Amino acid sequence: MSKPKIAIFEFTDCEGCEVEIVSLREKLLVLEKRVDIVNWRLGQENNQPGPYDVTIIEGTPITQDEVDRLKKLREESKVLIGLGACACLGGIPAIIDTKKRKEFYKKIYGEKYKPRGIDAMPLAAYVKVDFLIHGCPVNNQEVVRIISELLAGRTPQYRGYSVCFECKQAGNECRLLNKKPCLGPITQGGCNAVCISGGSPCYGCFGNREGAEVKNLLKILNKITDQKEIDRYFSMFLNRTKN
Amino acid sequence: MELIIEKKKIKEWLVVLGKDFKVVDTRKKVLPPKQYFFPVKEDLFSFDLKSKKLKTIDQSENILLLISSLNKLEAMTQLDEIMEKPQKDFFYWQKRDKSVLVGIVDESIKVPYGGDLVLEKINQKEYRTWVLNSKGRNLLKDKFFKKVLKPRTINYPSKPNIFKEKLLDSELLAEAVEWSWQSNHKIWNELAEKCLGCGICTYVCPLCHCFSMEDQVSLDNSKCFRCRQWDACTLPRFSQIAGGHNFHKTIKERYYNWYYHKFVRAYRQYGKAQCVACGACKDNCPAGIKIGEVLKEIVKDYKKR
Amino acid sequence: MKNIYKPFKVEIVKIEEHSSDVKLFRLQKEKGHFSVNDQGIVFNPGQFVLVSNFGYGEAPFGIASSPFEARYVDILVRRAGCLTKALHQLKKGDQLFLRGPYGNGFPIDFMSGKDVIMVTGGCGIPPMAALTEYIIEKKWKFGRVYLIYGARTPADLLMKDNLEKWDKDIKVILTVDQPDKNWKGHVGMVSKIVKEIKVDPLDAVAAMCGPGPMMDALEYILRPLGVSDRRIFVNMERKMQCGVGKCQHCTVGDKFVCQDGPVFNFDEIDKAWD
Repeated sequence: MSKPKIAIFEFTDCEGCEVEIVSLREKLLVLEKRVDIVNWRLGQENNQPGPYDVTIIEGTPITQDEVDRLKKLREESKVLIGLGACACLGGIPAIIDTKKRKEFYKKIYGEKYKPRGIDAMPLAAYVKVDFLIHGCPVNNQEVVRIISELLAGRTPQYRGYSVCFECKQAGNECRLLNKKPCLGPITQGGCNAVCISGGSPCYGCFGNREGAEVKNLLKILNKITDQKEIDRYFSMFLNRTKN
Repeated sequence: MELIIEKKKIKEWLVVLGKDFKVVDTRKKVLPPKQYFFPVKEDLFSFDLKSKKLKTIDQSENILLLISSLNKLEAMTQLDEIMEKPQKDFFYWQKRDKSVLVGIVDESIKVPYGGDLVLEKINQKEYRTWVLNSKGRNLLKDKFFKKVLKPRTINYPSKPNIFKEKLLDSELLAEAVEWSWQSNHKIWNELAEKCLGCGICTYVCPLCHCFSMEDQVSLDNSKCFRCRQWDACTLPRFSQIAGGHNFHKTIKERYYNWYYHKFVRAYRQYGKAQCVACGACKDNCPAGIKIGEVLKEIVKDYKKR
Repeated sequence: MKNIYKPFKVEIVKIEEHSSDVKLFRLQKEKGHFSVNDQGIVFNPGQFVLVSNFGYGEAPFGIASSPFEARYVDILVRRAGCLTKALHQLKKGDQLFLRGPYGNGFPIDFMSGKDVIMVTGGCGIPPMAALTEYIIEKKWKFGRVYLIYGARTPADLLMKDNLEKWDKDIKVILTVDQPDKNWKGHVGMVSKIVKEIKVDPLDAVAAMCGPGPMMDALEYILRPLGVSDRRIFVNMERKMQCGVGKCQHCTVGDKFVCQDGPVFNFDEIDKAWD
């Protein structure tokens, strides 16, 4: 049996998730024995056109060109995987105050300006996505896990637990108990709670955990801080999940 | 005759014990002592996919745990029982058999319900030893312990814990909890509006022992590991079967299941609640749910019914 | 110390296709036979084994072969998830790993001397198959025996060869939801079936494999016949992980399906909160 063909592409984003893949280092060589990475602009010089068995897409399309390219990639790929928060949730490019943007358009480009770009949305807004590898950036061990699952012929499963599981393992004090906002309880685990361990809150870059009790968390957050601050927390990655 | 160790000598004594044991101070850990015998995640077997050989993994080591809470010591005794009956949990006992539990307790003790050796604070400078078994006896080194006929003893009362007393009547608790569900007590709707389902209460509980098992294949496809990992009954997939059907669909059912396990099923199975009133769940719950208060309300209403 | 989690090796000695998505696997121990208990059986009808396919995990399967057969056990596998998909790709001669038999099984001592009505549907046939084999072997011990077996279509009826064979000793009543042109049996789990059953309600027991046909069977067959809830035994399904009463996944009320079950009397289960 020939090795499955993998392609890695990116749309608008910071490429940090692909850097996570690069940082797999020797593990990439092990992986190369089982798969052919046939197209990866960031990682290699020789790139082949489709079709591909697995296409991993980082970032989110923000022009019609990019949307068309995404649709074409979907047609050319057996399995399409979103890599990182931008692809999975809209991510950083989706944090935008559209009202303010309009004002800036006027101010900078004048009344007649017609914007070329389209608002950043998750890949799933345009095409069917088979699996999302969440994170900003992704945890490269999760990338390995998902690819291993696919290679074994299994359907990858999302982590069924909250960030709290890994946060307790890391021995952290609970931010919420210390009256500091945190979206950990409604966020899917798999990140090893790196942000909280490093003193930052969890903004939910791994997306909502299945069955997340968002309403119940909002009640707690409302006691800790004001609506503006809560909106800011959710605006990072989870804007679409709050209501 | 009492066996006494001076406070300042404890450190030295532990250094000596450190030659035979890996000494772990659990006193400031977020996760309870269970984690050393029932790790958060552990590989149970490795299976060589080429030679088809199955190997049992042994990660046990001589370990000495320092535990400061009488409740947590008691929890270890209970967890031992859970992992013993009806059949021994191999991987738990593989590690537990090689361990010793040493209590260093700063409150006066009537009876220690757990541990192999317990040091009880009797005055500012000294601790009295309670030897519970031969494992504990083997830790006594003459150099550090002295026999005293009547040591100076100050009473260090433990913090009042009303919930602990409630646990004494496990039968009442079991009846009340079950009744509260059957009679549709409003508290379960209220809790369903509060609980985040994050599972923290189960992780920090010294007695919760739910787990899931899964196989993981190495990246080079040469080996498979069968691992088990802590699970939490508050999580949506806990009772979901392969076809997708979920026996506990809502957080209300899942959160009730946690109480049902600890106070009803455990009582029927072991004759006592699976709770030592240590308060870890309450202290760590981000939603501020006070489990003792919940039970108090249920019992109060049960008695009034 | 015995390792309750360690499975033993078995070889697939036979594979049969029973429907478009169900295969039967015959599993034989690497060395020697399965051990026979003091009642002369290898397992209690209704007991299950945990089958390991390393790399894909472990799952419970009811034993479908005769409890008197010590050379092998049969399991029926419906292609549903990753594990069963992988099992379907295996060939004769491949190896698997097994733990068990686990659970209680049907109360065969209580059932003997009585009329027996077995009701099951689709993939719920294995425990009934084992029970049927047991009853036929000890025929003199039982009264009138019925097996009511339903499936979606005639093609979904499993163990067809056995159904024909059993019909010589017990009465096998088949029913499907979507009949084809040649179908002569019943359609649906319906009250008409009751007319074919002649039992003494005070001395009859029922065995069911839930949850599919359970409620219909209760309403249309067992209640009209007057079989009391305490004499209805149900083979339950729950999420199962450890199989040895530790992991807490498979609970029904205060009972564990893996240890106290999978067979419960209906009265007991009906009261459980979940």
